[in-house]
Amino acid sequence: MKLALPRWRFLNLQTLLLGAGFLLLVGIGAATIYLVERAASDSRELAVTLSIEDKLSDILLTVRRAESSQRGYLLTNDSTYLEDFRGAEPEAQETIAELRGLSEASATRASTLDRVATLVDGKFREMRRIVELNEAGQRDEALAQVREGEGRRIMVKLRDVIEEAVEAEGELATVRAETSRRTNTRLLIVTLVGTALIIGIGAISIMLVQRNYRRAEIARQELAGTNANLERIVEYRTADLTEANEEIQRFAYIVSHDLRSPLVNVMGFTSELEALRQDIFAELERLRAEVAALKNEADTAIEEDRSAQLGRDFDEAVGFIKTSIANMDRLINAVLRLSREGRRQFNPETVDMNALIGGIIETVSHRASELQATLRVDALPPVETDLLAAQQIFGNLIDNALKYGRHDEKLQIDIRGRLTATHAIYDVQDNGRGIDPADFQRVFELFRRAGKQDRPGEGIGLAHVRALVRRMGGTMGLNSEPGKGSTFTVTLPRRWTGDKRSAV
Amino acid sequence: MNSRTSERPVEIVMIEDDDGHARLIEKNIRRAGVNNPITPFKNGTDGINYLFGADGSGLTSKGKPLLVLLDLNLPDMTGVEILGRIKSNEHMKRVPVVVLTTTDDALEIQRCYDLGCNVYITKPVNYENFANAIRQLGLFFSVIQVPSPE
Repeated sequence: MKLALPRWRFLNLQTLLLGAGFLLLVGIGAATIYLVERAASDSRELAVTLSIEDKLSDILLTVRRAESSQRGYLLTNDSTYLEDFRGAEPEAQETIAELRGLSEASATRASTLDRVATLVDGKFREMRRIVELNEAGQRDEALAQVREGEGRRIMVKLRDVIEEAVEAEGELATVRAETSRRTNTRLLIVTLVGTALIIGIGAISIMLVQRNYRRAEIARQELAGTNANLERIVEYRTADLTEANEEIQRFAYIVSHDLRSPLVNVMGFTSELEALRQDIFAELERLRAEVAALKNEADTAIEEDRSAQLGRDFDEAVGFIKTSIANMDRLINAVLRLSREGRRQFNPETVDMNALIGGIIETVSHRASELQATLRVDALPPVETDLLAAQQIFGNLIDNALKYGRHDEKLQIDIRGRLTATHAIYDVQDNGRGIDPADFQRVFELFRRAGKQDRPGEGIGLAHVRALVRRMGGTMGLNSEPGKGSTFTVTLPRRWTGDKRSAV
Repeated sequence: MNSRTSERPVEIVMIEDDDGHARLIEKNIRRAGVNNPITPFKNGTDGINYLFGADGSGLTSKGKPLLVLLDLNLPDMTGVEILGRIKSNEHMKRVPVVVLTTTDDALEIQRCYDLGCNVYITKPVNYENFANAIRQLGLFFSVIQVPSPE
């Protein structure tokens, strides 16, 4: 597998890109918020500037209005002019107060405003004095005051200060507008650049993911190839194993067959010998009679004893030969049966275990009642397996349970079943004589038996049972306590996993 | 087998590799009172040569009243093959074939009947049964009708 970019590096890069993209987004967001805030404060400032300009002009206007109405009054001595004049001062003060609120933040503005306020105060004081002089009837004095020109000087100063301030504010406004424009431009740039970067990162990410996907695809195909290979290997192995097994089965089969042939002869000619015995001994008898006729009669008794002894010895020898042959035949037949079972084809089907056990119990019911045995069967779960094999397995186990009871106890056989996720487990439990733990393996071996040999049997049943259970993909368990009873446990897969063809 | 259908008595061709078996079979056939000639062969090749002749056409057996006793486990070939050849040969397909063997495998038995064997007998190890079976076979031989030669 040639990967230019190992997985961890790819992941790192991917994470890095994602992180960078995220940071960029955060940056753009922060910059945008900051710049928008800036733009807002710029426009707020601009509004303040304009408002200050406005109010300063207002003050100038108000003072001028006051002055002109005062002049009007001085000219006409008509006190109606004074109404305007008297209304002007509070108005001016109010505007100044408003300006104070606006100028708090700036020392320059505050000092300008102080100067404006001082001048306005001075002007109004001067005007009030003149008006008071006039009202007191000192008109000449009042006019002299006007002529003296202090009021005009104050006015000129006030105008200058205000114009200066307005100009300064104007400049400020220009600066602010410039800043605002710059801010907006920056905002645009930041947004555009950020977006471009994010798009770039996205593109790189997509490229990386695609590249990685392609690699993963290649890897997956390689893996699939490897898997297929592995499956092939497993298939070969299984085939080998199956073949080896079939070889063993065939071997057992052929051997037992070929052993049978000479056995037929041994048996046949032994029987022929037995048949000959009659003739031989009849011949002996005849000869003995002839000899007796020739010799005197005294020896015949001994001769008769001897020939009877010969007959007994002959019979004994032939008897042993025949028993041995019968035994050998039984053994060979057992091997044959096992090998035939090993070659039998299984037909997996869903087996109703209750019906199956019920059938077996029916066939042994006569024996069970003779033994006064009770058989208890729980509700058993079904299993997918070979019906015939299951019958043989449980038939054998129940048969054994009936066979090996105790004399001092009524036999009690319990058959139970349960399911796990994958297996069906069946117990055949008895309270019979039990099996010594040392013999747990032995009882499953061919021609081997355990305990007192007082019951008929070949030592084949359990070997057969275990071979079948194994072939069905299951396992065989045994738990027992001598003198208390045994429990044989058959565990079978719920779904057929065995081989349909032959032994594995 | 005092065959009333043919001039000559029926010849029993026995293909059996085990001398002992051959002897026991012959003894028991004779005990059943069957006196037909028995021609024994110890392997498949000799039996085939005798039955089918040198050219393997089977013409030699044409018109001969025959009965074949066949063992399946032979050293040089399986009896099944011989059975197949007899039953597929134009001149011999009507010859009765008795398969007498130790094999009691159900599949094998089926295969023999499928190929056209007439009787299939398993040799029992128990001599009582063996002798009995052969004697019965002998009785069977004495009543069986083999097809008359053309």
